[in-house]
Amino acid sequence: MKRFLFASTALAAVSFAGAAAACDPDYSGVTITAASQTGPYIASALQIAGSEWEKKTCGKVQVVEFPWSELYPKIVTALTSGEDTFDVITFAPAWSPDFTAFLAEMPATMREGKDWEDIAPVYRDRLMVWNGQTLSMTMDGDVHTYTYRIDLFEDPKEQEAFKAKYGYDLAIPKTWKEYLDIAEFFQRPDQGVWGNAEAFRRGGQQFWFFFSHAASYTNHPDMPGSMFFDPDTMDAQVNNAGWVRGLEEYIKASTLAPPNALNFSFGEVNAAMAGGQAAESIGWGDTGVIAADPKQSKISGNVGSAMLPGSNEIWNYKTGQWDKYDEIVYSPFMAFGGWQAAVPASSKKQEAAWNYIEFLTSPEVSGQAAITGGTGVNPYRASHTENLELWSKLFSEREAKEYLGAQADSVNAKNVALDMRLPGYFSYTEVLEIELSKALAGQVTPQQALDTVAAEWNRLTDEFGRDAQLAAYRASMGLPAK
Amino acid sequence: MTRHDPIKYVFIWPALIVVLAISIFPLIYSLTTSFMSFRLVPPTPPRFVGLDNYWSLLQNERFWQVTRTTSLIAFVSVALQYAIGFAVALALNARVPGERLFRVGFLLPMLVAPVAVALIARQIFNPTMGPLNEFMATLGFPNLPFLTQTSWALGAIITVEVWQWTPFVILMLLAGLQTLPDDVYEAAALENASPWQQFWGITFPMMMPISAAVVFIRLIESYKIIDTVFVMTGGGPGISTETLTLFAYQEGFKKFNLGYTSALSFLFLIVITIIGLVYLAILKPYIARAR
Amino acid sequence: MSIRNVKGSARWWALAGCLVWFAFTLFPLYWVAITSFKSPTGVVGGPTYLPFVDFEPTLTAWQELFSGKRGEFYNTFVASSIVGVSASLLATGLGAMAAYALVRFTFRVQLASGLIFFAVALGGYLLGMHSLGLGRAQALIYAFVAALALSLASDRIKMPGPVLGNNDIVFWFVSQRMFPPIVAAFALFLMYTEVGRLGVRLVDSYVGLTLAYVAFSLPIVIWLMRDFFAALPVEVEEAAMVDNVPSWRIFFGIVLPMSKPGLIATFMITLAFVWNEFLFALFLTNSRWQTLPILVAGQNSQRGDEWWSISAAALIAIVPMMVMAALLSRLMRSGLLLGAIK
Repeated sequence: MKRFLFASTALAAVSFAGAAAACDPDYSGVTITAASQTGPYIASALQIAGSEWEKKTCGKVQVVEFPWSELYPKIVTALTSGEDTFDVITFAPAWSPDFTAFLAEMPATMREGKDWEDIAPVYRDRLMVWNGQTLSMTMDGDVHTYTYRIDLFEDPKEQEAFKAKYGYDLAIPKTWKEYLDIAEFFQRPDQGVWGNAEAFRRGGQQFWFFFSHAASYTNHPDMPGSMFFDPDTMDAQVNNAGWVRGLEEYIKASTLAPPNALNFSFGEVNAAMAGGQAAESIGWGDTGVIAADPKQSKISGNVGSAMLPGSNEIWNYKTGQWDKYDEIVYSPFMAFGGWQAAVPASSKKQEAAWNYIEFLTSPEVSGQAAITGGTGVNPYRASHTENLELWSKLFSEREAKEYLGAQADSVNAKNVALDMRLPGYFSYTEVLEIELSKALAGQVTPQQALDTVAAEWNRLTDEFGRDAQLAAYRASMGLPAK
Repeated sequence: MTRHDPIKYVFIWPALIVVLAISIFPLIYSLTTSFMSFRLVPPTPPRFVGLDNYWSLLQNERFWQVTRTTSLIAFVSVALQYAIGFAVALALNARVPGERLFRVGFLLPMLVAPVAVALIARQIFNPTMGPLNEFMATLGFPNLPFLTQTSWALGAIITVEVWQWTPFVILMLLAGLQTLPDDVYEAAALENASPWQQFWGITFPMMMPISAAVVFIRLIESYKIIDTVFVMTGGGPGISTETLTLFAYQEGFKKFNLGYTSALSFLFLIVITIIGLVYLAILKPYIARAR
Repeated sequence: MSIRNVKGSARWWALAGCLVWFAFTLFPLYWVAITSFKSPTGVVGGPTYLPFVDFEPTLTAWQELFSGKRGEFYNTFVASSIVGVSASLLATGLGAMAAYALVRFTFRVQLASGLIFFAVALGGYLLGMHSLGLGRAQALIYAFVAALALSLASDRIKMPGPVLGNNDIVFWFVSQRMFPPIVAAFALFLMYTEVGRLGVRLVDSYVGLTLAYVAFSLPIVIWLMRDFFAALPVEVEEAAMVDNVPSWRIFFGIVLPMSKPGLIATFMITLAFVWNEFLFALFLTNSRWQTLPILVAGQNSQRGDEWWSISAAALIAIVPMMVMAALLSRLMRSGLLLGAIK
């Protein structure tokens, strides 16, 4: 009898606790519609987190997927129509200036506490903020890093031959000159190996790769925010000597790559590394993850990672001279910036939507996502990169250390360079893409190409309103308003 | 034949109403915005600017270049589609062995979504992962710049268009061939006319109306090509393979420069209408003769 | 020897030509089929041609597709099927009727009436929007009705200007296809959203999407069927008229069966167009009625072109079309002109 009473009380207690634990906070009957690009990248992260969130709060999450290149127009038309089509939107930070007028601010409760501090500062204080308001939450980290073939680099015969030819040891390149030397050294078409792989195709994410080259010469540590535009006058900086040098090297890299490199998008870069055709490459973290996966790659186990090469000369746009440094200055480039999640102001379920976002980006859920292949979530929290064990399921120990080290060092670097974010973003990048592809095809010289881009950028700035664009640019670079 | 039967209205009005109702607003909207400077992002209030959009387009070298490129792709690919399509349709109609299998097989490319065709084409043209390069290398031409040099890229795009749309021509011409009356051919056979004479003397003229209709549709549809170019070359190098619809897409859906894009759409419409009218005027006597 | 029944060496040349074209046509499809069974290593290493010989086939791409990791597969498939078939049936039906009317009857419309329609629609819309402060959809509806009424009324009185005949009406229909779809898709989205505010849901709905597809397929149907109807011998119909058979029975009972090859061909073409249409589907749907082309386009992702998934998705999109093509081409064979109904 006593046992029966005890058991039934225990059962009642457990079920009571269970019932109380369910639906916390209670969103039963609420369906959140989240817009994302077609899976699996990002969409699967949303879906996985969504099904967990549904168990926790009794709400529902419906992920709607659109092709990547149509996501922007789809979101713009939804936002400007004022309908509550979406409760959560995921998008590229470069588009945020065009969206900020339509977004709801992040609740203050989310902006404090241990989880908030865990986000790397460059995301937390710069990327997610616009005009003093936090309007979106990073759900993915993005920075360009360097990938190389460990087996090729550590082969003694290669090391000897390299030292004989170039006079220094074959190692992770510290400057872009070394990067190009290595590419030249491994350019062996008859053996099916080529030097490097980068994106060069118009419409294939090419300009981010160009920016990565140029950042080392134009992101001056003493003059923050001067990479793309003059932060005082909004004159385009994109045709100064630092940029021209970056373009020249970018063009040189295209000649030391597999044939048809001029038609490469980032996808082909991954394929070239994973297929063993390139000795080195730069790009997002996906390259490392894909190349290390034995199911997808021929070089798994031999994937090395590092920060992007730097430079010991940076162009000073004020003096018109090259400033020289004794130590190499690294300017890792936060290409693309990392997917953001936000809540449109027209949504009728904002509280639930922000709750979902908070859950999605919590350290535990996002940490799992970061190591799950196919979610497209790259590290952005300090906790992501500290836990080596999580990663060893995918990488070998050495690969994991180098990969995480590269990600963390890049994001925390003193001279990290932010990507461009401006209203009318696509207008600026379209002329850049066109001129880049012309320069790559040899139809114009680098200086001519960049002069054309600068002229058009200045014209666009005037058309959109120079003061408004200046304020936006300063905000995007984390500079105080004038 | 002309009849005056009031039931003719019942026949035509449903189609008329549907088309009018759906197409009138886009037309009005495009027309009104084409006279305004109107950007959706950054949000700027629309401003009436009269014909400014049109003038700046007509003076924009990119507009003319894009029109030339699109016309080139359209005319060359449609000409090839017609020639090959007619030949194949004749062969199928003449009950060549294996006709039934061919008939279904030849139709397939037309049924694939254009965006899928473009993605497949990109795979095949890829030098390291695609079969075409391997094939050409065995013939002694390795690493042709299929997608990276303008003239090759245009050829690649035209090839893909021909691959995808010749089935349309085959289908329509075959249906037309099957409705040709037997008696004329019997008479010709009695006179010992050779197949070649039969073709030029009977088949081709009698097929004129359907040929003209098919080529016309293919032409106007070809002018709207976008997926193939977007996926294969992105419009590059520079803008040398960019087509009208791709140009409109960049302006309208990436930059949301709606006023400019509407003006572009109307100019586009005018270009195609002129081509259409000229085409029909040239062919009118031949069609009338066939009827 | 007739060109319609070749014999001898010409037959073999024809066969050779067909085989070459067949190989050209089918090779890419074969490539897609085998690529959908390849693993990533089988793709990035270089081209491989024969399963089990060159590479190990796997079902990963297919599993991922069906599991919904790469877009809602089942829903989009069903949506595409329903919208595709119904839109094509409607368009072929309405379009055939209109084409027949344009071939066998005379229509006369004064150009001035057409211009009045357009002017009143435009003017009424602007008036309603800016002066009367009506919502966009309301202004449009009132303007449309007024324009229709006024232009029909004005057609009865004689006005200056040319009189348009059948050919011009057909040309007007076809000109709807000449308009580049970019701004049209956006404008249609706007219109649907505005009408949605009045209470009739058109965005992301069956009615909205099908209506748009029917409207934009009708021009093709009319253009193509017109020539098929014109090619039919008039004597058969005249004979029936002499017997006082009403026009609609002539149409359904005599004309349609005689033009079966053309009808079926046109239906197939319309279905192929609607099945593969991308732009309208993108703008007029969100989650409930998203169609297959969006799914296929979505495989072209920002972070990598996974050829195996693209191939699987493309194949799924094409298989129903293949089945339809096989079925319908058999019907076409048996629908030869029964020219002997005299």
